[in-house]
Amino acid sequence: MPDFSLLMTHGVFHLFAALITLCSVLVVMSKHPVKSAVFLVVDLFLLAGLYATLDSHFVAAIQVLVYAGAIVVLFLFVIMLLNLQPEQLRGLKFSAVEAGTLVISLVGFLITVVATFKGDQTGLGDGSLDPVAIEAAGGNTYVVAMKLLTNYIWPFELASVLILMAIVAAVVIAKKDKKKTSAPIS
Amino acid sequence: MVPVDFYFVLACLIFSLGLFGALFRRNLIMVLMSIELMLNAVNLVFVAAGRAIGNVDGQVMVLFVITVAACEAAVGLAMVIALFRKYGTVNTDILRLLRG
Repeated sequence: MPDFSLLMTHGVFHLFAALITLCSVLVVMSKHPVKSAVFLVVDLFLLAGLYATLDSHFVAAIQVLVYAGAIVVLFLFVIMLLNLQPEQLRGLKFSAVEAGTLVISLVGFLITVVATFKGDQTGLGDGSLDPVAIEAAGGNTYVVAMKLLTNYIWPFELASVLILMAIVAAVVIAKKDKKKTSAPIS
Repeated sequence: MVPVDFYFVLACLIFSLGLFGALFRRNLIMVLMSIELMLNAVNLVFVAAGRAIGNVDGQVMVLFVITVAACEAAVGLAMVIALFRKYGTVNTDILRLLRG
């Protein structure tokens, strides 16, 4: 009898991977930015599902809350605010340099992946926090929080400063300039 | 568990698609969305690798990446709004002052 749970895990992964790839293609290729944003939401939800299958429940929840809930909504607000028209139908312009960059990067990535990660991954880490140990220690969220608030307390505090700076910068940059009114160049 | 190589290949695919969008789309908002796609590919690698070697530092790093991505999106979109207000377009074929 085949191992049903293993088959199930692989099936879920391949289904999600196919859907994520499809949605990523649609994000990049859609003519209208609103369509791209909607597909980006679907993409982020599917990635959250993959995180959940990797026993990273806290990251999955944050992915849905912050990425799909906040960042993409920000994108949608800006798209609506600017009332952007779809890009012209003349298609994507490829220069030889751009196409070459893409091909080289793709081939390089694949070579790196195959060369680096072929075979087993034993000896990479201490493996002290496998799923059983995490469950015993109080669950994924507890373990991540313990790491975040002890080992990574300085980056954590600096992240709050970064967010504050981003808030101020966004307000200052997007603020209407009252003094001079500049005409559009076109 | 699914071999961790599969996750890396999937992340490579997403990253390459994001790179493609960032290079070839002419709409600044589409460029920003493609950058989000690339950051997500990196997050997937962090989580999958952390799960494979049995520690949670990768997940902590993902939280920081999400923080930085949120800041980047906020500032980037503010700049898009400022550009649109000044020049009336977000097309990178027209906004080429810094391209040389």
